[in-house]
Amino acid sequence: MSIATSTPTITATEPASDTHVVMVASNLEVHYGDQCAVRNVNLTIREHEITAFIGPSGCGKSTVLRCFNRMNDLISGARVSGLLTYHGIDLYGPEVNAAQVRRRIGMVFQKPNPFPKSIYDNVAFGPRLAGIKKRAELDAIVESSLRGAALWDEVKSRLQTSGLGLSGGQQQRLCIARAIAVEPEVVLMDEPCSALDPIATARIEDLMHEMKSRYTIVIVTHNMQQAARVSDRTAFFTSESAASSEQVKNDRRTGVLVEFGRTQRMFSNPSDERTEQYITGRFG
Amino acid sequence: MDELRKSFHHDIEDVRTELVHMAAFVTEAIPRATAVLLNGDLEGADQIINGDDEIDARALELEDQCIQILALQAPVAGDLRQIVAALKMVAEVERSADLVCNICKAARLIYGHSLDPTLRGIITRMGEQAQQLYIAAIESFVENDAAKAAAIDDMDNYLDALQKQFVQAIFESHAAGRIDLQVAVQLAVVARFYERIGDHAVNIGERVRFVVTGWLPEHRGAARFRSRADDSTEMPRPPIPGNSD
Repeated sequence: MSIATSTPTITATEPASDTHVVMVASNLEVHYGDQCAVRNVNLTIREHEITAFIGPSGCGKSTVLRCFNRMNDLISGARVSGLLTYHGIDLYGPEVNAAQVRRRIGMVFQKPNPFPKSIYDNVAFGPRLAGIKKRAELDAIVESSLRGAALWDEVKSRLQTSGLGLSGGQQQRLCIARAIAVEPEVVLMDEPCSALDPIATARIEDLMHEMKSRYTIVIVTHNMQQAARVSDRTAFFTSESAASSEQVKNDRRTGVLVEFGRTQRMFSNPSDERTEQYITGRFG
Repeated sequence: MDELRKSFHHDIEDVRTELVHMAAFVTEAIPRATAVLLNGDLEGADQIINGDDEIDARALELEDQCIQILALQAPVAGDLRQIVAALKMVAEVERSADLVCNICKAARLIYGHSLDPTLRGIITRMGEQAQQLYIAAIESFVENDAAKAAAIDDMDNYLDALQKQFVQAIFESHAAGRIDLQVAVQLAVVARFYERIGDHAVNIGERVRFVVTGWLPEHRGAARFRSRADDSTEMPRPPIPGNSD
């Protein structure tokens, strides 16, 4: 499936030999109106890996995540510059269809947000939009998606009941099932466990490990231990004083990517002093 | 910005301070053990040997403190390296204290036998050098000084050389009939105790380097091993003569 409405003419920016690269951000920068929210983001998302974004509030990590499936398009005044590629194609290129992008790159949000519909219809929603009408086909997708989200055994006998009747953790897994029902390649998760209790959180974390073999995952989390537990690579963002005097006057700060590397190294021997200070809790 | 997790960082400081106190205890015990050996001070030997129980108890307590920090605070990065290194270093210090005791036990075994000036001189120098190594280890730890920690390995070469020199002197003293065989064997063992104390100081220095840089000198050997293992998978090894398999 192509993400472009027409055949893309842009050639791959990644070396052909590195087939494991899914997304690349090069000097990515996001402005909201005249304010620079985050700048100078350079990182690579590799397939079948979990990449975690960590950092204090206001450092731009969720903003960057939202760029990855063009959710920032829906925010008025948001402007993305720099280059963000998906398999070598500029995601913000003129021929790229944002809706197609979101089918390939799904998203799960902080607060579980099932539709006020049955469990079945929640999961079948995306496939139906994509034109799948046959009941048998939809049944198969619903089952495989709910299995993929480790929810099938808990809900298989009540698929026609409301998704809102599930517990918070189950609702979040329903949202994951809904996201994977359209067979995305990448699943973005914006603090998916922050509204969940520890058991539900552990379930989602286990699920992420299982999902890794089929999907590429990018997660924003405030829980550093969660990033350490689940991710292969970690990106640490922080915010620093804006360069322009106008922004300083308004006490505006800009997010920057400080360090990006293998999670094991980031949490045992980070290179940048700011990463060390943040993850050891010496500033906040 | 404000420092967070102050109490946790205070706990890490407590671990560091206690480790320094324990290592200082060993540093001070080394010359005392040397004096016990040279003067045949049985009372002094008893004091040092009995004092080892306190070091054992403190080592257990410190280990427990480290485990609690790991379990409850989930330290990362520099904090994690501090705690993991402390767990390793406390074992080095505790073992060094045992070796100091062993010197005193050897002093009891050779009580009443006189040692010639050459042997006495080398024992004094071995004691001083072992103490110097320990002082350097503590200083490098307190100052987070990786360069000083790396120098301990070279300082240890001098202690190793003294040990060899001492063994030679033992042979000569025994051959000249100045010490009997049992004393000669005990003295050789004592030299080994000093040399081992030096090795433990070197190990502490290596852990200091790990705390500061995240790197251990053993990584070099490990890289050589991996490289050899890679080579052996590429080229089959020649058959061992006489092995029919």
